[in-house]
Amino acid sequence: MTDTEIERLWSALEPSTRRRARIETSVFEWLEAGEASLVGEWLGLLKVEPLTGFAYAAVGALSLVLLSPVGWILSALLR
Amino acid sequence: MILTLGMAALPSLRPVASLLAVLSVLFGADGEQLDEDAVLRLVEQARAGDRAARQRLYRQHVQRVFRTVRGMLRSDAEAEDATQDAMFAALTSLDRYSPRSGVRFAAWLTTIAVNTTRRRFRRRRLELTPTGELPDVVATDDDVGDDIDLAKQRAALLQALAELEPREREIVSLRYGSELNAAEIAKQLKLEPANVRKILERARVRLAERIEALVKSRGEPA
Repeated sequence: MTDTEIERLWSALEPSTRRRARIETSVFEWLEAGEASLVGEWLGLLKVEPLTGFAYAAVGALSLVLLSPVGWILSALLR
Repeated sequence: MILTLGMAALPSLRPVASLLAVLSVLFGADGEQLDEDAVLRLVEQARAGDRAARQRLYRQHVQRVFRTVRGMLRSDAEAEDATQDAMFAALTSLDRYSPRSGVRFAAWLTTIAVNTTRRRFRRRRLELTPTGELPDVVATDDDVGDDIDLAKQRAALLQALAELEPREREIVSLRYGSELNAAEIAKQLKLEPANVRKILERARVRLAERIEALVKSRGEPA
């Protein structure tokens, strides 16, 4: 067996397409994670979502409207 | 790639992300081997923040790294982990590579891969068998299947490699996996080039004899 034959045979050790894809995904996920700025991530966590803010305001207002009469009735009953 | 990574972040879309990753490897691979000048240009661009250049650099070398560490380790899974660690370490420390030192980029990358592999060996030293061989790890290989001949040759090569001394295994892996010459291997392993040539020749003969015997015993043409 010649040097060239061993060289050729060595190519049988190459990873499969699936394994290569897994390696590539992991490496680039780690790289992306390392590059994401910490400040950016914190701001992302704290940022106000317009829809969520509107939903909170709507639920709050509705609670006030519904709970006020209930509270008034309860206090009248307890008197 | 960005789409693949974005999807990988969402657990429910992981199968789709895996499929995209496979397609990306199949159709986006850099088959053409670049010369050293082109590789150095990619290194410069990657250092400057060019993500496409970094990806090309990665694809130019990942298989070489896997081939090399697979020759030293006892399972595909370990080689996969070592390749991931080595490629990540290399891509995040490109600033430390200096072509002026006379070291080819591939040789520099191989140094990182060998160090990563050695760390794995050290962690597993307690698992060494009395003969000094690493214990067999059951191959959970999803690679084999497409080509039976290739799988048989692969098995013969891996078995023959397992019977070599660790130092011999390291040297032949650097020679045939990373395609380094004796001088580069000597520099990497801090040995004399003449000594490397001697070990390499001895290991090559043993490897060739063993592979031929294994293939013959299975009734397959070499």
